[in-house]
Amino acid sequence: MGAKTSLFLLAALCLVLGIARSERALPTSAGGKSVEINFWNGFTGPDGRVMLEIVRRFNEEHVGQAHVTMQRIAWATYYNKVMVSALNARGPDVFVLQAQSLSRKDRAGIVDSVDDVFDSDPKLLADFDESLLDRVNFGTRGQPRRIGVPLDIWPHGLYYNAEMLKSVGLTNPDGTARAPQTRDEFLRAADQLKHDGQWGFAFGNWAYNFMTLVPQFGGRLVDDAGNPTLDDPGNVAALQFLADLLLKYHVAPPPEGGVAGWTGFRQQRVAMVFDGIYMLGDLKRLDDRLDNPFYRAAPIPQLGSKPGTMADSHVLCIRKGLTSDHRDAAKTFVRYVSDHSIDWANAGQVPARRSARESDAFKKLTAQYEFSRQLPYVMYPPRTPSFSELQNAINLAVEKAIRGRASAADALRAAQEDYTRYLERDRMEREFTAHQEVAP
Amino acid sequence: MSIVAQAQPDRASLRSPLAVSQSRRSTTSFARRASGYLFLVPYGIVFAMFIVLPFVVSLVLAFCQYDLAAQRPPKFVGLRNFREALVGDPFFWKAVFVTFRYVAWIIPAQLVLSMLLALGMNAMTRGRNTVRAMLFLPGMFSIAVTAILWQWFYNQEFGLFNYLLKKVGIPGVPWLSSSNLAMVSIVLMSLWWTVGGSAAIVLTGLQQIPRQVLEAASIDGANPWQSFWQVTLPMLKPVLLFMVVMNTIGAFQMFAQSMLLTNGGPEMTTRGVVSLIYDTAFGDYRLGYGAAISWLLFLLIVGFSLIQFLLIRRGAAGE
Repeated sequence: MGAKTSLFLLAALCLVLGIARSERALPTSAGGKSVEINFWNGFTGPDGRVMLEIVRRFNEEHVGQAHVTMQRIAWATYYNKVMVSALNARGPDVFVLQAQSLSRKDRAGIVDSVDDVFDSDPKLLADFDESLLDRVNFGTRGQPRRIGVPLDIWPHGLYYNAEMLKSVGLTNPDGTARAPQTRDEFLRAADQLKHDGQWGFAFGNWAYNFMTLVPQFGGRLVDDAGNPTLDDPGNVAALQFLADLLLKYHVAPPPEGGVAGWTGFRQQRVAMVFDGIYMLGDLKRLDDRLDNPFYRAAPIPQLGSKPGTMADSHVLCIRKGLTSDHRDAAKTFVRYVSDHSIDWANAGQVPARRSARESDAFKKLTAQYEFSRQLPYVMYPPRTPSFSELQNAINLAVEKAIRGRASAADALRAAQEDYTRYLERDRMEREFTAHQEVAP
Repeated sequence: MSIVAQAQPDRASLRSPLAVSQSRRSTTSFARRASGYLFLVPYGIVFAMFIVLPFVVSLVLAFCQYDLAAQRPPKFVGLRNFREALVGDPFFWKAVFVTFRYVAWIIPAQLVLSMLLALGMNAMTRGRNTVRAMLFLPGMFSIAVTAILWQWFYNQEFGLFNYLLKKVGIPGVPWLSSSNLAMVSIVLMSLWWTVGGSAAIVLTGLQQIPRQVLEAASIDGANPWQSFWQVTLPMLKPVLLFMVVMNTIGAFQMFAQSMLLTNGGPEMTTRGVVSLIYDTAFGDYRLGYGAAISWLLFLLIVGFSLIQFLLIRRGAAGE
């Protein structure tokens, strides 16, 4: 092959690479053309289909104004993709974040304020609970800086098998099954239902199960100043109770060789599990195959000194750095999705908007409605940029306690040390960086 | 442009036919060489972009504090990241221990199993290629496919292994949820995935041993066992050591197996160094510290490889 041929091939390769490098031209908003909005979320389950339907309707109703393209990415890799692409100013225009991850994304500077969305309609602001607005407000109540519009709330609650609970006498006066409401009822039912490979209760996500019980035992994960309090006596009591379900009361299957909580519940081999409302979609997929759905939902029984559970929220965010046309279209879309949150509730969520929760349509969604009864006393995760590190420390502690490798107190003390060490390192790094920036 | 210019005969070379001939020869030779290099250019670009550049960038980052989520550029911190890993981070040493445990289990297992399989195949007179292809087949799957497949094999309730165990009256085994068994399960899967390739290498080595040497040993009265220890194994030594070095380097980088099968659990008993690097750099966004751990792992692998190469050299000198 001669040099000319080689040169030609090289030129062709460069041309191909050059074309591959060039960015796809975005539709321009000039001249009345539709503004293209990229919308990312992690709704890869049945909930994603509901969101797709909302997006489809939005596109139909906004022809010539805005067009939304939705991309679903599994939560496992979702945050990395959002973060890296947004830092490079190429990320989605609108995206969904869990409220617990807002702090870190705010620190990274990728999330824009949406105060103008709230300011545009005073009724909108009044439609959210104050505690929920606090989750997205990174200013003060007097001078707010809200960086997202809450879409829903996902409390953890009790899923139970109606027939199984009826079989141990947990019934209403009309003969229908009812959920246990007290510690004694819960333990008795869990014990009576344990036989022949069947379990009355099984753990779901261990760390979430623990955080569900924390408020019931008067615990808290951080104090008012934001310092970790993982070894708080209330937390120890909550973890001890969780571990006791296995080690003392023997009403939960062991992690080694036992029945997996959620799978067992779906198979009707487990009578009760604690999990989030977002798991409802998974159960609803079974409805087509069942004459009469076996599952019911209820608030978490009072196992500690007061009722309580954990919850968090999916939040609609707008990326920083959008052009005014894109930002306007993004705001319109965010508002549209929020206004249609009763439709979103069908996906197995509790709407963030109070008006949607108080609607008759929502009350007909029995599972969502039952879980929403816990909202007056839910505990939201602490707002910290290092929530994933906190969660890692908790995961390890809960795992140690449930497996009986350490007492609840020791496991949480180690978690407190790990997380404190992380925070100290983070503080030093930030101080060091700040010092370096000031020094010259 | 310069190549085209040189491809044109200059005026001086037109003076004599001999000069013209020499010039043409030299031009053709240069063009051939140039075209060879030109064909390397695409790979060179990719190599520079995805190997050299990350290598250099990670080295620089290892001496910097760089939090992707902090809106601040990297800051030089000297050896602080390395000091933190070696002195201040218990999770680093736990991950090192897990990695060593994996290496210590899989390398001998791979060696012995691939030897046995290769010896078996070498002794076969019919169907050797079929068996070799079957053994090699798992290695053609990507690790993601392999891990998903084995996740189902290991499933405590519906998995193949527990189904078979229950058939013979043995209760189900918590393959992935037991702290004691999770690493064993990962090693078993990795063996299935890799042993075919190793066995093929050993088989090639076995087939390189001259038949006359084995026949001579037999004539001298060596039984098969003596023949294996005194002839086959010494002659296989270079192949085996090469295989061990390559497998060790790969084993130190164990990542996808634990990420996909156990996600580092239970109780972090399967989270190796590469998983820690991934969690640090892409979970906590601490790219500087993640890069420093990467370089510590690199040094660890280089150290082990050097030791193994020294052993090879010493072995070769001894022979």
